[in-house]
Amino acid sequence: MVDGNTSREQLLEIFKSVDTQTLITMALIFLIAYVLGRVITIILLKLSEKLSHTGRIKVEVVIPIIKFVIYLIAFYFIFREIFKIFGPEIFLLAGLLGAAIGFGLKDLFSDIVGGLVITFEKPYQIGDKISIGNYFGEVTDIGLRATKLFTPDANVVTSPNSLIFKETVASANYGVSEMMVVIDLYIAGESHVETAMRILWEAVVSSKYVYISRERPVILLHKALPFYTRLRAKAYVNDLRDQFKFESDVHTKAWIEFQKKGIRAPQLHILNIPLIEEKYESDATTWRNMG
Amino acid sequence: MGIQHSSSREKDFVEVLGLREEIEKIQSTIADFETGKKLNIAIVAEPLKGKTTLSDKIERINLNRAAKITFSKIVQNKNEIFLPDDTKKIVILDNCHFLYMRKPGGFDIFYEFLDMISFQNRIFITTWNIYSWKFLNEAFGLGKYFPVQIFLPAFEKENLRLFILNRYEKDEIKFAKDEESEEETFFYIMKYPLELALLGKKIFILVPKINISYLKNRLLKKQKIEAAEDQVFEKLYLESKGNPGIALRIWELGLDYPVMKPKNIGQFSYEVDLEYEEAFTLSLILSYQGLTKSEITEIMGSMSSVDKILYQLLSQELILKDENDSYRVRPEALSSVTTYMEKLRLVW
Repeated sequence: MVDGNTSREQLLEIFKSVDTQTLITMALIFLIAYVLGRVITIILLKLSEKLSHTGRIKVEVVIPIIKFVIYLIAFYFIFREIFKIFGPEIFLLAGLLGAAIGFGLKDLFSDIVGGLVITFEKPYQIGDKISIGNYFGEVTDIGLRATKLFTPDANVVTSPNSLIFKETVASANYGVSEMMVVIDLYIAGESHVETAMRILWEAVVSSKYVYISRERPVILLHKALPFYTRLRAKAYVNDLRDQFKFESDVHTKAWIEFQKKGIRAPQLHILNIPLIEEKYESDATTWRNMG
Repeated sequence: MGIQHSSSREKDFVEVLGLREEIEKIQSTIADFETGKKLNIAIVAEPLKGKTTLSDKIERINLNRAAKITFSKIVQNKNEIFLPDDTKKIVILDNCHFLYMRKPGGFDIFYEFLDMISFQNRIFITTWNIYSWKFLNEAFGLGKYFPVQIFLPAFEKENLRLFILNRYEKDEIKFAKDEESEEETFFYIMKYPLELALLGKKIFILVPKINISYLKNRLLKKQKIEAAEDQVFEKLYLESKGNPGIALRIWELGLDYPVMKPKNIGQFSYEVDLEYEEAFTLSLILSYQGLTKSEITEIMGSMSSVDKILYQLLSQELILKDENDSYRVRPEALSSVTTYMEKLRLVW
């Protein structure tokens, strides 16, 4: 039986015996893994941009898996080096490691576990448009520790992978390139709804950004409110990156035609009150965009 | 756009086209109409595949009871589709993809057309560009108005040979071997065209082929079959994928009258690289088969720079401007363009 002081001395002796060469080897293994992971990610992302929308998503799905396999192999070699040095005393080190994780490195460890869960359970994938925490954007990278999002405002948000344990994740397209977009148009209550609906339909189906198929139909909804009418189109954008262009295209084309047919926007100044209910509804719409 | 051919020498041209089954189906639907069962017919095909030729043939077969209208540009006035009461009971409408304009407010004629074919006591035989057809079918359920749908098949290699040679006198065209292959060999290497929608590209792979005609000549001592002619039509068939319009264009480009060599059959692969708006414009031209600049401007809206877009498409040699000032996809670029459009899912 080894008492506490002896173990500490033994470990100190072992640490002292670690030569520079071994440390360099371990650092090199990690560096090679990191560089290899980055290079493969860049190559595959470039390749995926040359493919069709569907092909792009398929290639992007494998990137995090490849990266994790590379890191796994790297950790295997690093641990082999460690085992060579420590031998059976590795278990003593494991105790220290456990304490370290418990105090200082627990966040890093939970991020890595989160990364593994994201890679294999796939709550989202590279190329998906997701909403996590307070952020919404396209996933551009899933790393060992964090996920990178590209937001509609061109910001790059780095979100720790452990966030998936605490927050609900909504993926708007989940592995496909088309995505449902909800487009609302408001017209004056006395407008001819049938004509307006027909124009909205034509604006949606003739848009250059639309994707229509039997499984992805265009749906129009109409809601009459006290002083105005809401027309809602639910349609799929061909490439999720064009979500806002699609909305804008439909709005522009529909309003040009509305004006030709005498369909007006609601004159809300007569109410002179803030539209609280509609504000909430508009927020809900944003969420529906993502689901 | 139909396939032009000399009528003086043709036997029964449709026999050559190999559309006997399609004609029988149409004629039997017409016979059903006469007994009180009305089913409208849609003939659907890719550009240059022979829709107009088939509709001409149907008109000729039913000469005394059929009337035909051919649309050659986007119809803007509903009187153009209005049929007087004394019109015959069989109405053939050619190029119906010109009955809509892809923009809000551009479908009024199309609605009139659907109303007309649904409620008039006539049988309507219509022809459609396949890409317009698919768009209108997904957006408006067009297929439900046409219980009889005929999708034109590709030509067989032998039909393609007859289709081309039917234009010339017997032995008018001389087939010659390529200079570098004067000696006939047991097998030869040929470039096989492959369209990869995933990459949006047409590529060529080298494939060894056994020289069947050489073998027949050598081993079976049968009637001499010209290996050069065989190779010409093999290449023509592969390059055109059995589309007669494309095959004819490639033939005309390669013919050094009256001599044709296998190497003269061009193999066309275009590196298509376009901005999204340019690609969408190209998809419109592909779907309508031909659009004038003013039509494109009207569809795209005033915010688009149509001149710049058309310049890009012309400079990449993807489209041409015909004698009617319509922009069309170059026949030899058709398969590259279609593959690229499928990659972007602008046509499907």
